[in-house]
Amino acid sequence: MSEATAKRHMGLRASRAVSNTFIHVLLIVISIIWLIPFVCIVLQSFRVENTGPVGYIIPHQWGTDNYTRLFQTDFPRWYTNTFIAALVTAVLQTVIVLCMSYTLSRFRFKMRQPLMRFMLILGMFPGMLTMIILYRVLKDLGLTQANAVPGLILVYVASSGMGYYVSKGFFDTIPMSLDEAARVDGATRAKILYKIILPLSKPIVIYTVLTAFMGPWGDYVFARYIAFGTSAGKNVAVGLYDWLNKDQISNSYTMFCAGGVLVALPVTILFLFLQKYYVEGVTGGAVKG
Amino acid sequence: MKQYSDLEFLKLSRGQKFLYRLRRFLLSIPLGIGRFFMNLFRALGKGIAGIGRELGEIGSTFVHGDWKTKISFFIMGFGSLARGQILRGVLFLLFEAVFIAYMVMSGGYWLSMLPTLGITGPSEEYSEILDAYVTRYHDNSFQILLYGVLTIFFIIAFIYTWRVNIRQNRIAEKILASGKKLKSGRDDLRSIVDDQFHKTLLALPMTGILVFTVLPILFMILVAFTNYDGTHNGYTNSLFTWVGLDNFNTMLSWNVTGGAGSQSYAATFGEVLLWTLIWAFFATFTNYFLGMFVAMAINKKGIRFKKGWRTILVLTIAIPQFISLLYVSKMFAKNGIINGFLMSMGWIEKALPFWEDPTWARITVILINIWIGIPYLMLITTGILMNIPADLYESARIDGANAWQQYRKITLPYMLFVTGPYLLTSFTGNMNNFNVIFLLTGGAPTNPAASSAAGTVGYTDLLITWLFKITTGAESQYYLASVIGILVFVVVALISLVVYNVLPSIKNEEDFR
Amino acid sequence: MASVKLTDVKKVYDNKVTAVHDFNLEIQDKEFIVFVGPSGCGKSTTLRMIAGLEDISGGTLEIDGQVVNDLQPKDRDIAMVFQNYALYPHMTVYDNIAFSLRLKKVPEDEVYERVTNAAQILGITEYLTRKPRALSGGQRQRVAIGRAMVRNAKVFLMDEPLSNLDAKLRNQMRAEIIQLRQKLETTFIYVTHDQTEAMTLGDRIVIMRDGIIEQVGTPQEVFDTPVNLFVAGFIGSPQMNFLKASLIRTGDSFSVSLLGVNLALNPDQNEVLTRKGIGSQEVILGIRPEHTAVLFEPDQNAIECTIDVYEMMGSELHLHLTDQNSDRIIVRLPTIDLTREQRQHLSFGNRLFISFPAKVMHLFDPETEKSLIDG
Repeated sequence: MSEATAKRHMGLRASRAVSNTFIHVLLIVISIIWLIPFVCIVLQSFRVENTGPVGYIIPHQWGTDNYTRLFQTDFPRWYTNTFIAALVTAVLQTVIVLCMSYTLSRFRFKMRQPLMRFMLILGMFPGMLTMIILYRVLKDLGLTQANAVPGLILVYVASSGMGYYVSKGFFDTIPMSLDEAARVDGATRAKILYKIILPLSKPIVIYTVLTAFMGPWGDYVFARYIAFGTSAGKNVAVGLYDWLNKDQISNSYTMFCAGGVLVALPVTILFLFLQKYYVEGVTGGAVKG
Repeated sequence: MKQYSDLEFLKLSRGQKFLYRLRRFLLSIPLGIGRFFMNLFRALGKGIAGIGRELGEIGSTFVHGDWKTKISFFIMGFGSLARGQILRGVLFLLFEAVFIAYMVMSGGYWLSMLPTLGITGPSEEYSEILDAYVTRYHDNSFQILLYGVLTIFFIIAFIYTWRVNIRQNRIAEKILASGKKLKSGRDDLRSIVDDQFHKTLLALPMTGILVFTVLPILFMILVAFTNYDGTHNGYTNSLFTWVGLDNFNTMLSWNVTGGAGSQSYAATFGEVLLWTLIWAFFATFTNYFLGMFVAMAINKKGIRFKKGWRTILVLTIAIPQFISLLYVSKMFAKNGIINGFLMSMGWIEKALPFWEDPTWARITVILINIWIGIPYLMLITTGILMNIPADLYESARIDGANAWQQYRKITLPYMLFVTGPYLLTSFTGNMNNFNVIFLLTGGAPTNPAASSAAGTVGYTDLLITWLFKITTGAESQYYLASVIGILVFVVVALISLVVYNVLPSIKNEEDFR
Repeated sequence: MASVKLTDVKKVYDNKVTAVHDFNLEIQDKEFIVFVGPSGCGKSTTLRMIAGLEDISGGTLEIDGQVVNDLQPKDRDIAMVFQNYALYPHMTVYDNIAFSLRLKKVPEDEVYERVTNAAQILGITEYLTRKPRALSGGQRQRVAIGRAMVRNAKVFLMDEPLSNLDAKLRNQMRAEIIQLRQKLETTFIYVTHDQTEAMTLGDRIVIMRDGIIEQVGTPQEVFDTPVNLFVAGFIGSPQMNFLKASLIRTGDSFSVSLLGVNLALNPDQNEVLTRKGIGSQEVILGIRPEHTAVLFEPDQNAIECTIDVYEMMGSELHLHLTDQNSDRIIVRLPTIDLTREQRQHLSFGNRLFISFPAKVMHLFDPETEKSLIDG
């Protein structure tokens, strides 16, 4: 090896080391930027000396006052509302989405293509618009305000069939010959679904449950419409949002932080365990479109 | 324009090639749209021909059918019952009974009121019992419109079922004539979980979509042609009625203003639409490229804790947006942490107008949206980046490509190819990205000139948040919200149409598979 | 154990493409039938119609005398082995094989009996508790066969079962299928694109092209008397050589003339041609590489060629030759009889003379592509 090439060799290694160090630093900075707001929320939720927004991060006086104050408000009620809505929605929506995507992936019936195209077009309308009428209809049915939870569940679940793309993409990757083999083996379509397809689709089932849970858990718009004007029917998003009103913020800003921590905690833990499946669903879904 | 052959094209300089492609792209837009309408008309023609064929078949079934079939034209399910298919027959008969009962009892009323949406509104009447004037409610425009549409749905369903009933007779006759046996009720039940399983599975989801999406959308489209708003709610204060295209004229006219000293609706709409498109463009592409960049940084050989970095970013997805966005919005407020920090460091003297100045606010929402979006795009792009065959890079390195060239010539084209459809949905999704705008700024700062009667419009308002403000505002001009909703649909559909029809032709030139 | 009868079976897709034209075939009980043809010839579609995985657009399909057109696959009493095995990835080998029995609610004791029995025959007993992922290609193939075996089905369908295996395993599995077939005594329908497989496995071969049956017959029949140009070219490896020639009739005797050489036909062939009333005409002469006589010296009945390519296969040589019309001819030559000088002569550019014995000549009409002598 001549001296020149040796030098170039060293240069390559050195430049790689430099660029890797640079990227490491960058990643640390990115992580800090991404985590800072959450760290701030947690810190401020323990601040006692001032309940409004302030220009500093570290509390001067620590305490759990904000959490105890939370339980004197309607927050527990909101929390229960949100939890029930999210849980029931997660179950029902998963069933509906799986039915829809399995059918569109596995059956070749005449209306399949038109149906998919129709839903694509339907999805181009702003869904929010439908709230105007749904609110009035649900109100006539007595499913708003204090009874908002069943009404909300109905709204979340009813149209969830439109969100079939990701799981259909996953089902499409399971070879058709498995279905055919099972049909020859004597299985009905229903049996194929729960004996062959579902056991193979664990990641996507978990992904569907997870996203179906997270939707209602953080929903603001529909919940705001349906709970309109009452406190008992609010979910956490609507409740906490209202605490940041001009009139309330100085009193409840830290309480908002404490509530936020309590709301974020369960999903974050859930995510920590189910991360793998979530990643699988997101990646698969995007590529297949 | 001049068409180059392949060999001529190859001889062009880089700039010429680019211009040539650009021209081809622009030319293909009207072509694509034209093709779409051609297909639409062809489909329409086919549909009409199909209806003709159906009518012919119905006629010939009646003429050639036996007496059981003929009676089935009037009493649905009669043929099935007479031929021993009890289950089918009963279901058909039941459906007809329900339909007739409904039409007689209420359907007829709704249908007859549909053209006017109600005749008598609420009135003050003297009540002898109370010895006072009380408000009496009469017609309900809202219900008339809703149930009118529902009744039309029902009629269509009935016609379809009637048609199925007739076809059943025809098929049954054929089967019996060939000496085979008809399916029994038991066979029918069995097919629910087997060869007709797809119908079973779709029944519930499709009913949900029909009732909670299709029907409301249809209703809201119709509302755009009425004067339904807070003061005409159709029941308790005053009826609403059809106004034709008036609302579209209002929204798209340069002369109609929302109030004294404000600009016209059309100008406001144009401003908001423009910002919506700018926002969608930046929100989509900043996230896309920066997310890809972060993913590549984490994927790079020699980087440690790959899983750790990813987990940190993924966990931020878990936290509900209303918490993170609301909190970040307060962080950037005048008295928020950011300004507090900068001032305490002595870097600035006056608070920065993150939410007060229109340009600052617009840039800030885009920046914060990057913060929201990168983890998501990092995940998506990581998966795709790993799928790029390693030998492509190895070959490029041997050919002498540096890191940038590798990115430009291999990574980017591959990514664009695979994520093309995703980019489109992402763009239209961002146009309707209610959460980020509403939770961060609520549309603020207010645009004084644009603030018309239809809510207070701000500089960061998207069409969708404007729509929301209108419906929840004091005057609740639902008809204007509907008009905006329809226009949003038109814009989204137009963009999708162009992309879907044009994209394949661009793609062919840099095909990757 | 059943006969299968296809009468005018047709497959037309929604887009009006006809994949299979009127397909007529009677398969005897316990017969091993092979459908063979190039990809897209409709062989798999036909098999899938028999299985019930594709709708039959027209005609009737009978299994054991019963019309099964409208029956679901599970009601047809058939077993099938798929090209990519289609093993259920989440089940163990045992559960895979037992799946169909359990669906039929066979008692567990009997399931155990039948599954272990099949596993023993196939030599996969030690893998019964594994998942398919942990098996090699050949083992997966055996599991797939085992899954079909335990059903004791009337008809055994196999859709290119060996095409995902490497050459060596393929030969081995082919032998095993032959053995299996003797043990099972059931009707087999086997689809392949590989003519060697077809020849070695089938009692009868069905050669298909573009959804049409070209010829049905025993391996010997289709090899010796191909009815048309397609079958002649498809069966046999290396491919049969085709040369332009003229058929000359003088009285009731015929001869074939090409490149100035006249080759007389034998009495049998003369008789067939005379009976068909064929006169002098242009023909395509077909001759298999292994039927060509190679001469090192000029001869009045031999045509002169130059050697293009020389392929040593061990026990034999494949020579690619060019005649004076620039037609390419492939010749198979056993190496054992060659002298040292002859071997040295066989290299690029050298001259060689070939002649064709009358009894192995095939003549085809250039227009109809049908055989003039055979069939």
